[in-house]
Amino acid sequence: MPSPTARPGDPAVGLRTSSHSHAGAPTVLKIVIAGGFGAGKTTAVGAVSEITPLSTEEYLTEASADVDSLEGVEAKQTTTVAFDFGRLSLPDAPKPLELFLFGTPGQDRFVDLWYDLSRGAVGAVVLVDTRRLENSFTPVSFFEDIGLPFVVAVNHFDGAHLYHPDQVRAALDLPASVPVVTDVPTGWAAGARATSWDARNPNHVAGVLLTLVGYAVEHASEGPVHPASTTTLQDA
Amino acid sequence: MSTYGDAAEDSTFVRTYTLTRGRTEPRHLLGLDTVLDLGPGRPGPGQAEECEEILALCREHRRSVTELAGRLGRPITAAKILVSDLLDAHALVVSVTDAYAAADTDADERPTTHLLAALSVALKRKFPDAIPYRQAG
Repeated sequence: MPSPTARPGDPAVGLRTSSHSHAGAPTVLKIVIAGGFGAGKTTAVGAVSEITPLSTEEYLTEASADVDSLEGVEAKQTTTVAFDFGRLSLPDAPKPLELFLFGTPGQDRFVDLWYDLSRGAVGAVVLVDTRRLENSFTPVSFFEDIGLPFVVAVNHFDGAHLYHPDQVRAALDLPASVPVVTDVPTGWAAGARATSWDARNPNHVAGVLLTLVGYAVEHASEGPVHPASTTTLQDA
Repeated sequence: MSTYGDAAEDSTFVRTYTLTRGRTEPRHLLGLDTVLDLGPGRPGPGQAEECEEILALCREHRRSVTELAGRLGRPITAAKILVSDLLDAHALVVSVTDAYAAADTDADERPTTHLLAALSVALKRKFPDAIPYRQAG
């Protein structure tokens, strides 16, 4: 796990001074959805996004660890990283909001991208496929290291074993405070059985986002970086 | 998501290089979530066709750098370079979307609890059947 270091520039800061202020323009909030290949990131983004998720590419230059070339030319290689983008307008909130959702791959060589996406984010959802649990280790330790609030959602695939949240928590070595979502409460339907969380279901995804927001509020009031906060989540 | 060495990938690389006229670094520091609005200026002549596309997209709706890149089907860096050109021409402006309690320093910037509360209310309105999960402990 590459350990996070302070980054020099904060993108856009230099531009903010020269930008126009649009009164009443929605405030942008963002949430990162991370997970291994095939864990359901694109599906989850698409379930709640009002636009079809856009796949965007970026070239990353990375030092290649296993090539030791005298030429120096092969010491770096360019990798393409694809990530997903979706958005959601929330115009009739107490104040107009727009939510950006970024779906990012889970490999540690993309840590630079995670930094950019995590800056100022509400938090992150780590999507877990229990058949490939090891793909979740890197995002989990990254978000822990940078102190970004995150929740874990287990995307249930047909044929995969159903685990209890505590088993997932133990396997990922998560603190007790981190919410782990495996089942969806059936709510008002009395006697109905809980169903497995499903990234295709907008209500399931929105439920996890709500869980994250609630957790982020607790995190903000407990975290050392935000000392005294008197605001409470009125609607929770 | 992986490293390709095939001809198709190489040719995409070359097209992107041509599009940005060989530039590999944007002139402005832009984040992936930086949002662009239409500005009062007009781009100069000889701009890439993609610049018109960017302006047309931002005319409909303000757009983030990531969304512009996705809609153009171009890598982020290429989109940032073109957006920088349009910012220089005042054809685009950066939209203020500040969600942070303190805009100073490089401290840990997180949305305020007020904003988080507003987000929670808004999500519940949009998805009335969604249920947040309460931890047992």
